[in-house]
Amino acid sequence: MAQKKKGKSKSVIPGFRLTLGITVLMVSLLILIPLVSVLAYSFKLSPSEFFELITKKNVVSAFRTSILCSFIAALVNSVFGLILAWVLVKYEFPGKKILDGLIELPFALPTAVAGITLTKMYSDTGFPGKFFSAAGIDIAYTKIGIVIALVFIGIPFTVRAVQPVLEKLDPQYEEAALILGASRQRTFFKVIFPELFPSLLTGFGLALARGIGEYGSVIYISGNSAKNNTQVVSYVIMQKLERMDYASATAIALVLLIISFVLLFVINIIQIRRSKRVSVR
Amino acid sequence: MYIELKNIQKYYGDFKASDNVSFGIEKGRLVALLGPSGSGKTTILRMIAGLEQPDGGEILIDGKVVNNIPASKRGIGFVFQSYALFRYMTVFDNVAFGLELQKVPKDEIEKRVLELIELVGLKGMEKRYPNQLSGGQRQRVAFARALAPNPKVLLLDEPFAAIDAKVRQELRSWLKKTIEQLGITSIFVTHDQDEAIEVADDIIITNKGRIEQMGTPIEVYQKPNTAFSASFFGQPSILPDYKKFHTFEERPGAEKAFVRPEFVKVTKKNEELFYKDSSVEGTVEQIFFRGDTLELLINVDGVLITARRGLDEELVNVGEKVDVFIYRIFVTEGEKAYLLQNLAIREESLVI
Amino acid sequence: MESVIEKNKFSASEKNYSEDSLKKDERGRKITKYVLITISVLFILLMLVLPLVSVIVNSLKEGLAFYFKALSTQYVLSALGVTLLATVIAVLVNTFFGVVASYLLTKFNFKGKNVLSTLIDIPFSISPVIAGLSFIMTFGRSGWAKPIVDSINSALGTDIQIVFAIPGVILATIFVTFPFVSREIVPVLNTVGTDEEEAAALMGAGGFKIFRKITFPHIKWALVYGIILCTARALGEFGAVHALSKTRGGTFTLPLEIDALYMQGSADSITSAFAASSLLVLIAIAVLILRNIFEARAKNKS
Repeated sequence: MAQKKKGKSKSVIPGFRLTLGITVLMVSLLILIPLVSVLAYSFKLSPSEFFELITKKNVVSAFRTSILCSFIAALVNSVFGLILAWVLVKYEFPGKKILDGLIELPFALPTAVAGITLTKMYSDTGFPGKFFSAAGIDIAYTKIGIVIALVFIGIPFTVRAVQPVLEKLDPQYEEAALILGASRQRTFFKVIFPELFPSLLTGFGLALARGIGEYGSVIYISGNSAKNNTQVVSYVIMQKLERMDYASATAIALVLLIISFVLLFVINIIQIRRSKRVSVR
Repeated sequence: MYIELKNIQKYYGDFKASDNVSFGIEKGRLVALLGPSGSGKTTILRMIAGLEQPDGGEILIDGKVVNNIPASKRGIGFVFQSYALFRYMTVFDNVAFGLELQKVPKDEIEKRVLELIELVGLKGMEKRYPNQLSGGQRQRVAFARALAPNPKVLLLDEPFAAIDAKVRQELRSWLKKTIEQLGITSIFVTHDQDEAIEVADDIIITNKGRIEQMGTPIEVYQKPNTAFSASFFGQPSILPDYKKFHTFEERPGAEKAFVRPEFVKVTKKNEELFYKDSSVEGTVEQIFFRGDTLELLINVDGVLITARRGLDEELVNVGEKVDVFIYRIFVTEGEKAYLLQNLAIREESLVI
Repeated sequence: MESVIEKNKFSASEKNYSEDSLKKDERGRKITKYVLITISVLFILLMLVLPLVSVIVNSLKEGLAFYFKALSTQYVLSALGVTLLATVIAVLVNTFFGVVASYLLTKFNFKGKNVLSTLIDIPFSISPVIAGLSFIMTFGRSGWAKPIVDSINSALGTDIQIVFAIPGVILATIFVTFPFVSREIVPVLNTVGTDEEEAAALMGAGGFKIFRKITFPHIKWALVYGIILCTARALGEFGAVHALSKTRGGTFTLPLEIDALYMQGSADSITSAFAASSLLVLIAIAVLILRNIFEARAKNKS
């Protein structure tokens, strides 16, 4: 029945024009027009200029650093996100509610605060940074530091993507596999994991997208050294802005925007495919 | 005609939800729109209500074209399939909502609402919220709410779909009685043939966006005039080649034949057999106990026929050979359906 | 009765081949459980809780007197004022928008609905620095809207500046928190459906009446929760504002002031930075607690 209603038919519920008008107006003024300004400015550049600006050595290196570190952090977050979601859904233990509530901390804590704290913690005088540096591992002002900051920022995305799916997963499904004689490991990898995989991928994508554009939490711990390749893309954009090099700033921003949109698009496709599969079942 | 639909067309993209739908309903009738899901019955109801707009054709209520009249001005009470009770309002406020919108004075509202709540048998539950009521009670509230503003027409979308089987039975007779008492013209949508037969004064059968047949329950049941209605009612078995079963008049162009269980007489070998020449032999394949009857699945030369035997008759066993006599069949020719009597009966009545 | 129990026992033992393998399986499950719980607790303690503790410890390094002195400098107070102003306005704007947009997106079907809903979510997935940049490219010296603002100023005799001024800070804050309220309400309204509104409209209720009486009670708690998240994010926004605000003690927000203090690099100023951070940490903790309260309440109601 719901499918049938999807026509162009007018609804009897009043308020369509008013709410459409307000929504489109506000989205246009506050989101669309500013973003289009960036596009417009970068289109003023000729393709060769554009290409030259975005292939400068420090820009390419910043993209490489941002993408590489975000990718590793998103992988780490996928593993821990899966474990955390599993523990929060499947087990009962004292303090579970607090643990669950703390997952959202990176959303609530300002990025700049996270940034300076993590830097302090992982510098060679902080805790636990001093133990690492005693062992010869420098974390602050290296790519490892960037990864740690991005793991901090990204963990809620993977946990919150997997958790609801795991909650809704019918336990009978799992039980059916067990009764059929599958071992627990086999049940997990053959039955449960494939169900969770799309949501895990969504969480991975969201964490990756967030990581590639991240600024506040990263710029302190990264050290922003061109020599050590620890500048991230957002930092480079900000640097160009401060030097009033708008051409470079917008060109880099455009590439970053395209990456974000592609990721967003892929995530949407995964989610649409998943909802289709669920509705068929 | 109190409600009239003329050549209604409705599309959802490529999907034809209403294909030239026309019918009329007299004042005071209780009408069922009956059909399988996706047959377009709910769409028709929603268009009459004004919840959807037809792409072509006219809808008339009380002689006036209402196509351009907004839903709220059509004088319609609508009972939603999910009831759509306002979850954050009490039973009283739910029923009073429509009256408040009409700016009825407060004391009158109170009088009318309490009257209606009593009518639907929920006295004393005015202060409850919908989630504190059972399914049947919610349906009654939805009914009272739809009736409160004194609508000219009452529309009900699958009114019994969300209710337990046991309560459903009771609610059906209650609804029929109450609507008859009030004398309000009502249309309800259902996919359940028993429900339509039991509750409605008239049945409109829908299929693939078209109206197949309209008539009283007895008419549509006994005299289906389209292939679809013949196959929809009862529990028909399909006979690929009805000529195997003597003795029916041969109709050139006939495609399929349907036989309902009540058209089949099953006789044990030790029982007296009437129409011997027109009977065929079959084997009992399965027996189902249906409470008040036994349902038999009989294999006659590869064709499976459903038949019934009373509990007062001698029992039959699986694998037993029995004689099967068919009183009548429906044969279809394209979209049309015809009833054929067994010639053996006719000949006999001629002799007498 | 007894025979039923016997039967159950029988079927239960039949399912597993032997007592031994049953025990082994049970033990394996327990070990897995405790290992996974331990990993989770350690991860959260090390990755999430430790930073919080670290902020507080660092902020109190020089004692309470220093802590309060650090919080009461003119720069910090001014930054607090700007932050609160931007937050209040952003929350008001986005609450209004969130309610209107989620009503639109859940009660009606129309062409371009998916596009619109994607556009609303853009600020979630793009770098905050780009948000700042886009306002500079719009209203900044080379921005195309600069002449428009100038002509408005000369017509009204005012001197409204957007970039590197308070309005820019406010705009950037609105931008980054734009989808927060609508994102909380939309799923709630999607599960509620449109039946109730249709029923009310059928009886002749107008839009505002339907919203007030029918829709609003459903979204009350989601709205509160969305406002809380929006507030938290607005208070802490850094990247977008960093691009648009350059005057310490004038247009700096609290996170920018923290940045400035930290970048000064002296031990005292770093401690001051942590002192200012501790304010935001307390707010973050409050947000988490409120979130849990309101989420539980929203779940109970539906």
